Amino acid sequence: MNNIWVATLLTIRETFSRKIFILFAGVSTLVLLLFGILFISVSAENFPVVGTDIQISGMDIGSEISKAIKLFIVNPLYGLGIFLAIFSVSSIIPQMLEKGNIDLLLSKPISRTQLILGKFFGGNIVVLANLTYLIFSLWLMIGIKFGDWDLTFLWSIVIITFVFAVLYAMIILIGIISNSSILAMMISYLILLILSPILANREFFYQLFESKIAEFFIDGLYYFIPKTAEISNIISEINVGMGIEDFQPILSSFAFLILNIALSIIIFSKKDY
Amino acid sequence: MINAIEVNNLTKIYNPKSKNAVTALSDFSLTVEIGKIFGLLGPNGAGKTTLIKILLGIVFQNSGNAKILEEDISNYKVRTRIGYLPENHKFPNYLNGEDLLKYYAKLSGYNENDLSKRIDELLALVKMNKWRKTKVKKYSKGMLQRIGLAQALIHNPDLIFLDEPTDGVDPIGRKEIRDILISLKNEGKTIFVNSHLLSEVELISDRVAILNNGKLIKEGSVEEFTTQKEVYEVKLNKEFDSDLITNLLISYEIFEFKKESFKVKVKDETELDKITDLLRQHDLGIRNLNNIKTSLEDIFINLINKN
Ligand SMILES: Nc1ncnc2c1ncn2[C@@H]1O[C@H](COP(=O)(O)OP(=O)(O)OP(=O)(O)O)[C@@H](O)[C@H]1O
Ligand SMILES: [Mg+2]
Repeated sequence: MNNIWVATLLTIRETFSRKIFILFAGVSTLVLLLFGILFISVSAENFPVVGTDIQISGMDIGSEISKAIKLFIVNPLYGLGIFLAIFSVSSIIPQMLEKGNIDLLLSKPISRTQLILGKFFGGNIVVLANLTYLIFSLWLMIGIKFGDWDLTFLWSIVIITFVFAVLYAMIILIGIISNSSILAMMISYLILLILSPILANREFFYQLFESKIAEFFIDGLYYFIPKTAEISNIISEINVGMGIEDFQPILSSFAFLILNIALSIIIFSKKDY
Repeated sequence: MINAIEVNNLTKIYNPKSKNAVTALSDFSLTVEIGKIFGLLGPNGAGKTTLIKILLGIVFQNSGNAKILEEDISNYKVRTRIGYLPENHKFPNYLNGEDLLKYYAKLSGYNENDLSKRIDELLALVKMNKWRKTKVKKYSKGMLQRIGLAQALIHNPDLIFLDEPTDGVDPIGRKEIRDILISLKNEGKTIFVNSHLLSEVELISDRVAILNNGKLIKEGSVEEFTTQKEVYEVKLNKEFDSDLITNLLISYEIFEFKKESFKVKVKDETELDKITDLLRQHDLGIRNLNNIKTSLEDIFINLINKN
């Protein structure tokens, strides 16, 4: 346990030392500044939101507006957050595996399993910290501006970090197998931008192929690939107060995470360096 | 006698299933006593680095087993007591010298309160105090080697593996490193050095082994290696006459004649006795009889060529 903690701390320290973490924090700050300027320059009354003329008595306009804003920003935020997070961590494993560095690391009294877990937790903590900074600050700004202190918005921190953790587990596995940060990034973005959104609407393809085998194959792929698109919808639903209807996307993605970490550990533990 | 390292029949084949399989070690056995400096010599590609990597769990053997400090090498915990300076090491280049030592101390499980004192000591030992706040990426090759050595010692290990420790270090630096290794030995540490700089290994090692193509060719003390029993240099108290010369040349393997000395290769002591008798018969006194040492380098080249 102590060893995992040491490996975790050193991973965090490494991401701090490399400029990429600063980039992440910098972009977050930029986003916050933009919203800050927006909130200051526009007053609540001029927000072009539905329902301004259908004034329902007793309804708080502020909270309606803030709900609309949250819905409007939460998806781009999700995309941006994960995009930056993947970019920040994709080189952690290839850097660890560099010749001359890995030899020394493996000669230390830390097992290979502990090293991988340290890299995993370290990356997640860094991303969690960054997302907390970004999303908590936004929540504060919305609260101050519109008096909406609804805590559900903060769930985004947890869920986005979770989605990141799932992809990061895969990035670690790809890193161990191929030693390539570019490949890891490409596959992550492929899932995030193309595969997951398409597979979420896989019924459309059933009609296209009209074959049981194709259907079976697409289904298999669907359950295997992390469900980043559906989880993005879950965040939106939480924010409009709907709660989580279907836990399957989260659970199956979690299974993917465990599988990737387990495979990473098994493969890493057998390799010569 | 306690052994610091015990290697039994290690075989390592890289890429065993592919057609470019390389046998880096084959049925290799070796023991290193505690408290000694052991030099492993061998030409490029002999398998020296591979041996260290197996002992430290960086690569895995195909067969055989080994112990370090009386623990099986698969037990990673024993590595708290091991220091290692790899060849061609690459340290995280965002660290400065001081932070680098802290970094590896943590990884080595060294949690003493006196870490900063220990860092001061080691930086002084390797003469890197001036550069302690400079980023590692700005270090020269020799400086990297010095900080690398400090890194290998930071957690006060009992057994230290050094792979080409003087690589890229200037002659004065080399002497300094040799002195450090000798003083470590005097503290009771065991040191295992890989090198192809034979003259250097010869200066500090208690025992040496020669490795070629993954096989152990010869192992022994430095004296055993460098003392050739058969060759003697004979110095006389006066010049010898031509008669004697022909006499000697006919019966013995004589070479390097000088006015008052010659060298002779003998089979055994009795042959040597016969020669001295012969000299006395000619009224020649022996001023000096010397068993000639050859350098490790000569032996090395001879052995490798023979194989
Ligand atoms: N990771 C690897 N994959 C495949 N072959 C390897 C690997 N590492 C070493 N070898 C091969 O194993 C053999 C022994 O290499 P090793 O590095 O142990 O030699 P060495 O004695 O340390 O040489 P040098 O003096 O040049 O450092 C060489 O033929 C080398 O090509
Ligand atoms: Mg080598």
